Amino acid sequence: MSETQATTSQPAPSRDPGQSAMQLKNVAVAFNGRVAVRDATFDVAKNRVTSLIGPSGSGKTTLLRALNRLHDLTPGAKVSGQILLEGTDIYRGDLTVTELRTRVGMVFQRPNPFPTMSIYENVVSGLRFNGIKKKSILDEAAETSLRSAALWESVESRLKVAASNLSGGEQQRLCIARALAMDPEILLMDEPTSALDPIATLRIEELMTTLKERVTIIIVTHNMQQAARISDDCAFLLMGEDRAGELIEFDTTEKIFNNPNDSRTLDYTLGRFG
Amino acid sequence: MSEILNESIVELELQGDHVAGEFDTPATSRTWYHYVLIAGAVIFAAVSVGFVGTIFWSSLPTWLHHTSTLLTGSAWSSPIGPFGGLAMIVGTLETSLIALVIAVIIGLGTSIAIVYMIPARFRNIVATLVELLAAIPSIVYGLWGLLILAPWMEKTVNPWLNSWPFAHEIFGNSGQEFGTSLLLASIVLGIMILPTFVAISREVISVVPQDLVEASLSLGATRWQVIRKVVLPTARIGLFGATFLALARATGETVAVALVAGGVANVQFHLLYPGTSIAAWIASEFGESQGNEIAALMALGVLLMALNFALSLVSRWLVRRQRKVLALV
Amino acid sequence: MNDLSELHEASTPSSRMRDEIRRTSDASRARRMTVSRIMILLCGLALAVSAVPLVALIYELLRLGVPVIDKTFFTTLPATPTLIAPNATGGVSNAIIGTLVLTLYASIMAIPLGVLVGVYLSESDSKLAAALRVISQTMAGAPSILMGLFAFSFIVHDLNVGFSAIAGAFALAVLMMPVIIISTEIAVRGVPNTLREAGLALGAKPHKVSLRIVLPAAISGIVTGSILAVSRAVGETAPVLLTIGGGFINSWKPLDPVSALPLTIFENAKSEWPSQRAQVWGIALVLVAFVFVLSLSARIWAARKQRVNN
Repeated sequence: MSETQATTSQPAPSRDPGQSAMQLKNVAVAFNGRVAVRDATFDVAKNRVTSLIGPSGSGKTTLLRALNRLHDLTPGAKVSGQILLEGTDIYRGDLTVTELRTRVGMVFQRPNPFPTMSIYENVVSGLRFNGIKKKSILDEAAETSLRSAALWESVESRLKVAASNLSGGEQQRLCIARALAMDPEILLMDEPTSALDPIATLRIEELMTTLKERVTIIIVTHNMQQAARISDDCAFLLMGEDRAGELIEFDTTEKIFNNPNDSRTLDYTLGRFG
Repeated sequence: MSEILNESIVELELQGDHVAGEFDTPATSRTWYHYVLIAGAVIFAAVSVGFVGTIFWSSLPTWLHHTSTLLTGSAWSSPIGPFGGLAMIVGTLETSLIALVIAVIIGLGTSIAIVYMIPARFRNIVATLVELLAAIPSIVYGLWGLLILAPWMEKTVNPWLNSWPFAHEIFGNSGQEFGTSLLLASIVLGIMILPTFVAISREVISVVPQDLVEASLSLGATRWQVIRKVVLPTARIGLFGATFLALARATGETVAVALVAGGVANVQFHLLYPGTSIAAWIASEFGESQGNEIAALMALGVLLMALNFALSLVSRWLVRRQRKVLALV
Repeated sequence: MNDLSELHEASTPSSRMRDEIRRTSDASRARRMTVSRIMILLCGLALAVSAVPLVALIYELLRLGVPVIDKTFFTTLPATPTLIAPNATGGVSNAIIGTLVLTLYASIMAIPLGVLVGVYLSESDSKLAAALRVISQTMAGAPSILMGLFAFSFIVHDLNVGFSAIAGAFALAVLMMPVIIISTEIAVRGVPNTLREAGLALGAKPHKVSLRIVLPAAISGIVTGSILAVSRAVGETAPVLLTIGGGFINSWKPLDPVSALPLTIFENAKSEWPSQRAQVWGIALVLVAFVFVLSLSARIWAARKQRVNN
């Protein structure tokens, strides 16, 4: 294999902690003792799109799900290291998990609107969960988030209709709107377009470039071209010999795709494996 | 025990097509196999027609002359009549509905606990325990109710219930304490139909897709909010199916109710008094009946059959619909 | 389309809204989490409460049933206690023989026919098949007393056979058939189509494929279903109550009246003799033990088959 084992932990250009939406320091996730991903250290910059790329099994989704503590649901899962949201450790700091999740939202691989709710109810479901009942707030949040997801014009006349009536791409944008309604600082996206057709995919990619002014986006994608198109920074992960994923390189997308430090990164971006 | 089969029953309905075989061959190359199978089907068809027909035929005298007595009369006078079935009808409804309330409240909590609190490796054991509970013959529940619970009710529970402020109105008060009563029958019935309800509701709740659970948690919902606002509504139709099936089973329970309800044919709204149900009355009166009384008991059987079939069909329709809803998600 | 800045404005939440969202959600958080904890706790409590009757029942069965069971329990005929001999209850051999007889005759009637119909349902698309499927599912949930009424009307009365083992067996067979039909159909459908196709591709006639390839593969599901059906039949009181008459001798003849375990419990539970009431617990224990063994074997058998298939 290669002699250079560069595991960069600082983004280039370097930034001060105030400009980081989230900081990861030696984060590792293990299930019942078996390590799935380890040594993830990087800073996610505010209002930029950071993508986690790498071949399947490299631990990208596992790492993503640690960022909103979804692994709390899995018995035997252990997350070590530090994940800092605006300086607070999300696991050991003074932050309840429900509050964390209002600040770090998530969009999933398959569109999953709540089947028994209408479009409107889906969008405001997060607000309702958090105790917000005032109609004026709910209405305003619904409109702004549906607009942000480029869905408003399509659904404004049928807000009370069941969410299952929308197409796949529209449903995914509904899920994005639902996550945005909570006004999160960070939006986690787990391969959000892999279940969609190319046109729907393109629309969501366009969306992400406008969305990043509102939220910081961290996206997992197995589609290299997508990462090259939409992300500002890239974290490349690879499964090691012990079957645990590790961070190989973190840098701006431009550097990762044109002039990476690590030869494995180069191999991946050139399509030599994956 | 039909709980074990229930899930599979719905799967069957969704599978649709028959399997490739003998019945695909043209008429000319049919073999004995074909005819044997058809013969079997015809025999079973005859048995099922006979099942409904015989009971109905035997009850015809009652339907022809005494329908209104059966449905509205409150006195059952052996051996010549009149045979009024109102007490049994009312008793069936009272005991079944109260049993249903008990079973649904405790059963829903139990199912939620099984799906969301028990670690995966224990779920098999719990499922087995629920099945075993359902397999206990109803006579044993009846025996336990009669010899253990009834004395306890008479000595402890009933006096306590009678001391409540509105005891008079709800429970009745003749100064007498009865161990065997409609209330005890309702409780025993509730215990008996609980496994039925839990088996189905547990399955319906556990197939709500995990990513709906994760999506709602990711929005900042508490665990209870996820259950109450996302899981239960999504499983709603199937839960209704479970309710109807549990109700169907409650209405059909015979010997347990016969042993613990007190066996008194009075139209009774006071729960601490003895009463009876349709099935229990048939079981206890049949032995010594003749002629017209048998016809009247058969007529009660027809009522029971109609009620049970209606509830069963509704339940299966609901569970089927639930499957289709989830297939769309 | 819209001016880009307008779009931007319309899709940016106002700061008033953002503040209100933060404030309300923070304020209600503690309460919501407490409610969540309490409700989850109540669900756990419900689970515990569900377990109580099972535990209590088994405890009483063991406590009161074990002392009553000894060798004579199984081998002697029942006797009636008298004032001089209040504990002379005898045994329950008649009921044990009766239950065995009934189960045997019922199985002979129900299993072959049930399997036949189950196979038919899996292979045929006809309206008859669809109707029979609905019928058997409905009958599977029907109150067992109806089977008793049917058997009484038909066998005891119309055919003038009188109270007898065969009448009781008939009632139990009608009870067992739907269960066997349903589980047979499931078992046969569960056989992978590839097996069937392989047989047909080799040129075998369809019915030979069914008999030689499919049925043997489905046999464990069929056996499981039959065991479940038998386990149910053994414990049912209502169907036999109206049909068997309750004999006091050990008899295997189909036309003779017989007794059965559940029937004996029903008759003696209200007895004025404490010794008979005590004996009834022994019968109940035997019955429950028998039913548990059958149910568990069915489950283990089914699980073994699953493992083999995987």
